[in-house]
Amino acid sequence: MRASLNWLKEFVDIDLTPVELADVLTMAGLEVESVIKIEEDLSHVVVGKVLSIKSHPNADKLSLCQVSIGDGTFPVVCGARNMKVGDKVPLALEGALLPNSMKIRKAGIRGELSEGMMCSEEELGIGEDSSGIMILEDDLVLGMDIVSALNLEDHIFDLNITPNRPDCLSIAGLAREVAAVTGKVLKIPSIEVREEDGRIHDLTSVDVRDPELCPRYSARLISDVAVGTSPFWIRRRLESVGVRPICNVVDVTNYVLMAFGQPLHAFDFDLLSEKRIVVKRAKDGDTFATLDRLERTLQGDALMICDGEKPVAIGGIMGGLNSEVSETTSNVLIESAYFDPSNIRKTSKKLGLQTEASYRFERGVDPEGVINALNITTQMIADLCDGKVAQGIIDQCPSPFLPKEITLSIRRINKILGTSLEKERVRRYLKAIELDNKNLDRDKLIVRVPPLRVDLNREIDLIEEVARLNGYDNIPTTTPLARVTSGRRSSAWVAEDKVKYVLISLGYYEVVNYSFISPKLITSLGVDANHPFHKFIRIKNPLSEEQSIMRTTLIPGLLRTMKTNVYNKNSDLKLFEIGTVFFPNKEDKLPIEKRMLSALVTGLRYVEAWNFSGDEIDYYDIKGSLENLFRALNIRGCNFSCAGDIPYLHPGKSSTIMIGDTQIGFLGEVHSEVLENHDLSKTAHIFEIDFDLLVKHAFSKKKINLLSKYPPIYRDMALIVKEDVQSRDIYDAIIGCNNSLVKEIQVFDVYEGEPIASGEKSLAYRIKYQSFKRTLTDQEVNKAHKKLVSKVLEDMGARIRL
Amino acid sequence: MKEELEKLFGEALGNLKVAGEESQVTQVRTEFLGRKGKITALLRGLANVSPEQRPIVGRLANEIKLSLEEKIRESLASIQARKMKERLFHEKLDITLPGRRVPTGRKHPISEVCDEVIEIFLGLGFQISEGPEVESDYYNFEALNIPKDHPARDMHDTFYISDEVLLRTHTSPVQIRLMEKQEPPIQIIAPGKVFRCDSDVSHTPMFHQVEGLMVGDNITFGDLKGILTIFLHEMFGAKTKVRFRPSFFPFTEPSAEVDIACVMCQGNGCRVCSSSGWMEILGAGMVDPEVFRIVGYNPNEVVGFAFGLGIERIAMLKYGISDIRLFFENDMRFLGQF
Repeated sequence: MRASLNWLKEFVDIDLTPVELADVLTMAGLEVESVIKIEEDLSHVVVGKVLSIKSHPNADKLSLCQVSIGDGTFPVVCGARNMKVGDKVPLALEGALLPNSMKIRKAGIRGELSEGMMCSEEELGIGEDSSGIMILEDDLVLGMDIVSALNLEDHIFDLNITPNRPDCLSIAGLAREVAAVTGKVLKIPSIEVREEDGRIHDLTSVDVRDPELCPRYSARLISDVAVGTSPFWIRRRLESVGVRPICNVVDVTNYVLMAFGQPLHAFDFDLLSEKRIVVKRAKDGDTFATLDRLERTLQGDALMICDGEKPVAIGGIMGGLNSEVSETTSNVLIESAYFDPSNIRKTSKKLGLQTEASYRFERGVDPEGVINALNITTQMIADLCDGKVAQGIIDQCPSPFLPKEITLSIRRINKILGTSLEKERVRRYLKAIELDNKNLDRDKLIVRVPPLRVDLNREIDLIEEVARLNGYDNIPTTTPLARVTSGRRSSAWVAEDKVKYVLISLGYYEVVNYSFISPKLITSLGVDANHPFHKFIRIKNPLSEEQSIMRTTLIPGLLRTMKTNVYNKNSDLKLFEIGTVFFPNKEDKLPIEKRMLSALVTGLRYVEAWNFSGDEIDYYDIKGSLENLFRALNIRGCNFSCAGDIPYLHPGKSSTIMIGDTQIGFLGEVHSEVLENHDLSKTAHIFEIDFDLLVKHAFSKKKINLLSKYPPIYRDMALIVKEDVQSRDIYDAIIGCNNSLVKEIQVFDVYEGEPIASGEKSLAYRIKYQSFKRTLTDQEVNKAHKKLVSKVLEDMGARIRL
Repeated sequence: MKEELEKLFGEALGNLKVAGEESQVTQVRTEFLGRKGKITALLRGLANVSPEQRPIVGRLANEIKLSLEEKIRESLASIQARKMKERLFHEKLDITLPGRRVPTGRKHPISEVCDEVIEIFLGLGFQISEGPEVESDYYNFEALNIPKDHPARDMHDTFYISDEVLLRTHTSPVQIRLMEKQEPPIQIIAPGKVFRCDSDVSHTPMFHQVEGLMVGDNITFGDLKGILTIFLHEMFGAKTKVRFRPSFFPFTEPSAEVDIACVMCQGNGCRVCSSSGWMEILGAGMVDPEVFRIVGYNPNEVVGFAFGLGIERIAMLKYGISDIRLFFENDMRFLGQF
């Protein structure tokens, strides 16, 4: 909300600087986001008075005026005709530089001397009116500089008013807070309406058919108004707080809204059928044209202000075109009401229409301020538009608004705040915010809260007020008297830390992608409609199609990250992400959330350097990373099996990752088609693992073997096998020999090609034999090795490579 | 014989002096001390020396042999030392060439900062709790005292899955889930992703928060100030000025915004802090009795505080980052700097 300092000063004396005031308000919970100084550079422009107007001897369209500034009179040649003798006008004298860059100096105009210029609002840069010379209020002192005469210098505060404080959504409301925290007196004008002929009850009636949604409706009638432009000061005020002036009648309602926080509406009385008001709910599907010239469709719970036949306003939100005040209006009915906040909000949300009025009604206006605002509005309109106010007031308020009574315990205040405030001090704070209170017993007070403070309903609300007025900074800073706890991480957190640590030391960068992606990215993986990746959850109101579904896999995000970086000439990448994927559960229930660990590698293993060769990273790099990871997490029994049927992976270079019989993920080279879909030309390898399953198997108990005191003996074995034999099979065959001396098996060579016949390949193993009991002899190792080799040859249908 | 011995000794020393190679030194040993060596041969004639001279000559011969052995060892050692020196001299590296760097990765800055925050609270005895990212309206709003049609809902631009299911807009639902299944005392933090439909230089539709909750029977607003002050001093330095000012959250009362002195201008006022000298860093407050009632606690018996902070905001302040979107572009040129 915007507030003008000049305006605030009408309601409370302020002797703080604008910056100090901003600080005071912020520390009282009314956060000032900015303070902007409004300055007008209008030196040499002063208040003048037109003494005479004569026609210019040499020009029909110009006139020759004498303008006095009190201690001097200046001849001025002028083209405008709206001023008359005796009018006070802004006079720009020699040396003035107007905002439109016009420089004023003495000059001859068609043979007549002109020593200054009378200005329009537009020429002074303080308004839109360029139709003629600005006519000033008659009581201004001649010769006074125009900036102080019109009070043009101001400070505008931009405040962030929290939803619990609708009472501060007005200048007077803010002034009440300023008065409370600075100890000054709040000056709220009371007004006496000068009523003239006609009694309102004879002229109109108000029938509230839904008092639940409209607990209070009041109205007054003003006749014979002259609709026109508002005086400068009203327009200036409205503009300073961001409201566009429209016409005097409407401007006054807006002025009072901004000043007191009570929304008001002016109807053209003559456009109301049967000259009466009926307040009732809309019928489902009713349409209604609002003042913003839009046709709105209503639902049955919208509260409508109607005349004898039809709706004329959406209650508390916006008036209708059919009863709009216009230049031809002469009689107006002014509405000042209190509407049910939650109903206003519902309707406003449904219509997608938020106005200054609805914003305040949905938060709650002061039901007791309804009449005062109506009276002020009425008298202002009568004064400014020469209207006559009918006698009496309509005030439909079947159940009066009573102050709330809340019991406040001083002990409770101190228990919650950690303070040692005394009762008298608490009572001072309550008094400062106009809360009457009396003693209940030694500890407790009974506090009366006026309906104005919609946020104060419970003891805790009052405790907050006490804390606020005491100043949060004056509450002692302490540490809790709590028992000692072990601030430990869960095993999932420990695992996550470990996973990150291992991958980072292997050269992987952690990335964080959005949890929502484009459905196109799922399609880009080449999976068919029945694939689980396609069972995604849609966001009803996404920011864009690109971010419209909850991800079911982290792979598309990594591919996108790859693309971003390749585009930026970083094509050697090792990336990983730990994040959530989402799958539908049952109707309207929360989805299934799974945490995944995914990685992508592409480009060179190491950037080529004087001491590194530039080898492309491959399947075995990313597999090795996983093996490292499993080892670090002490996961046993993991296995890589042929995958074959994963559509987004190369069928020959992919595998599923198993722990025992549980599949926990997959690994492999990205399918060329998927890369093409992402406009990527370089190959990439990925894995994706169910992180929760990984954690479940992590940190199995470690068993530490004793160290052998005896030396190991190594024996090699080079085999020729059919090319489809897998290393794993040979490994299993060696293990199958059940020789307890075998302590390590290592593949040290894999070879295909000359001189090995095609269709065959060679695999070479180094086997470590060792005993814990004695030093092995060559002979016994030779014997054991020979036996092992012949068993493997037999099992695998292999032969020794010579 | 004495003279002959000394002559041979002199000859041997002379040969040693000119020996530049290890082989030449061992040659001296063979030539004089070997089985067929000159000194050895001479000493075979010791039997012919008169008995009274024999011990004297014998002793002399022994001294000469030992002394020569010693000289040979010294000579060998000095040749070896010289040679090693020469070898090492020629083995000199260009020590300015870059090392063999096996590149390591980096944690994402969000994780980095999040871990830092967690570490501080773990040290204060907090435990970690978590909750789902897709939440029900009940946990995200209603149970936090934000009924439907409450204006406070305007404070959250919410992504909806259905009328009742949404992407959580804050980590506060974790409070409710935890209190529903655990009795006080409670002392937890809950880090995680949150979502709001908003996107510009200072907003991304997804960001990270850490929620904190401490509930017991004797916890005060002063304690809230104490814990958060400790945290902010750990995070931003012990001299960081901290202020608490009144604010509003439907699930806490009294509520506070917590500011620290602007890290850019040290509180003097600059563009980053819109001349105020302060920067909003977290929201906090005493848990509203209504929330306790909703989770089935007795609001007259338990008290507690809750707070929430934005990880991106802290990371941006810490590293001087002005565009929040950088965190989610995952550009190596950005990530590589942390």
